[in-house]
Amino acid sequence: MTNVTKSYPLVDATAPNLIEETFDYSLPPRIRFDGPIVEYVDGQPVQFDPRELANRDIFITDTTFRDGQQARPPYTIDQMVRIYDYLGQLGGPRGVIRQTEFFLYTHNDRETLDRCRALGHKYPECTGWIRADKGDFRLVQQAGLKETGVLTSCSDYHIFHKLKFSSRRQCLDSYCAIVDEAFAHGVRPRCHLEDVTRADIDGFVLPYVERLMRMSEQVPEHLSAKIRLCDTMGFGLSFPGAELPRSIPKLIYKLNRELGVPGARLEWHGHNDFHKVHINGATAWLYGCDALNTTLFSTRERTGNPPLEGAIIEYIALRGELCGIRTAVITELADYMRSIGVPIPDNYPFVGRAFNTTRAGIHAGGLRQDERIYNIFDTAQLLGRPPRVAITDKSGADGVAHWVNEYFGLKGDQRISKIKMHKVARWVLDQYEQEHRMSAITDEELEAKVRELMPEHWAKHKGHAGSPA
Amino acid sequence: MANVEQRVIAVTARVLRVDPQEIKPEQAFASDLGAESVQSVELVAMFEEEFGIEMDEDSALSVQTVGDAVRYITQVCHEQDVEV
Repeated sequence: MTNVTKSYPLVDATAPNLIEETFDYSLPPRIRFDGPIVEYVDGQPVQFDPRELANRDIFITDTTFRDGQQARPPYTIDQMVRIYDYLGQLGGPRGVIRQTEFFLYTHNDRETLDRCRALGHKYPECTGWIRADKGDFRLVQQAGLKETGVLTSCSDYHIFHKLKFSSRRQCLDSYCAIVDEAFAHGVRPRCHLEDVTRADIDGFVLPYVERLMRMSEQVPEHLSAKIRLCDTMGFGLSFPGAELPRSIPKLIYKLNRELGVPGARLEWHGHNDFHKVHINGATAWLYGCDALNTTLFSTRERTGNPPLEGAIIEYIALRGELCGIRTAVITELADYMRSIGVPIPDNYPFVGRAFNTTRAGIHAGGLRQDERIYNIFDTAQLLGRPPRVAITDKSGADGVAHWVNEYFGLKGDQRISKIKMHKVARWVLDQYEQEHRMSAITDEELEAKVRELMPEHWAKHKGHAGSPA
Repeated sequence: MANVEQRVIAVTARVLRVDPQEIKPEQAFASDLGAESVQSVELVAMFEEEFGIEMDEDSALSVQTVGDAVRYITQVCHEQDVEV
């Protein structure tokens, strides 16, 4: 039998405690911490204080046009310019979305870059991405970019089997020569440590980064190398106690605290092969990496990168304020991406067509009484998406009432009682019980029935009852 | 003219499709007479129509038995100056 070590008497109350310091409905629920995290690195306990996040300049970077585009047919120039414009609006003047990266190889790549910069947004800053090829720096320089990503794979899978180096030293020397070339061209290198969560951390990654740090000491600060930690196959783990090379906390600790790479020069780039992509990115923020690399709606080949819009919501939750972010742009972006053929699943958080739609009558009843009961935050205010009810045989009169009141745009005392909707509720139920229907009632069907069975309300809220359908 | 109880029983029998002779004041709409969620709403709507009154949704739907409905409707009729 388990020993009981503590007793918890009921704290009776006659008024609800809604824990509003965390669940302030006007914002995504705050992520609050009440103490440090202890991680054992090389057998020694080290502390991370997540409360420091509130004071650190964490930010989001975007790779929708680079990694995100590798998953799909190319965007047109107009589409990319439009998306870039949205990113600028979404991230706001404080640069929460700080950078986005572009290919530089084709005429279209360069025209896109020029047109995006011509929009005049301070953020996101445009950066490049090139192969580890010395000649490619000419492209970066010609484009007038201050920073570019450079592919520098780290695992022996890549070093020996993909890139065919004969030794790690040959590989490291080759990468450092590229970094030297970047410095020589006055371009800041952002070294993409591909496959880092499957690499020999002590044997290659740390010596490589240590050398990058020493090289960076020889150049002005604005050229010093950045480190992008690429969890190429999604192997990274957020759990305290996990081993290297998969441990995100240990990896960041070693780079940040042992090798002295500042958080502002550390970036996490994840993949979703094991459903861990968003939380791994947030974990990187937590343990000292300031930049989180993302794509809009997680678009990317295979399983996707950290979703940009998820990082935005996480950012607000960690900060406890909007910080200049225009959250409604998330919805505009989703609508735009759908319009150009980017699929977004209906149940996809924050932007899927059904992300805040309930089908259960008992949930609809809760929504009808107080939408906070079954809505994650004020999605109407922040995303322009009030909670909705999809009508099926499980919706009941509460579901119909919620749908109708939302359809008429009625709130508070204006809301129509479900008693007045009994004919619509009966029609819905009969669809299933009498007609043996198997699909949800569409909005168009319900709209027609409301008009037919509630003509007085229709006339009052939607126009003239006698007008043609 | 039928009294309130007779009218309540008649409406209940029609909405729930049960024999009015089998409806007793002590019976509960849901557990004894089988009223489902939407039928409860229909019952309230039909009572409003039958008596020409407006009932508070939450109060009306919290009524459990036929006898309670008779008392509640009688009270609402008096409050709204409806003769019964």
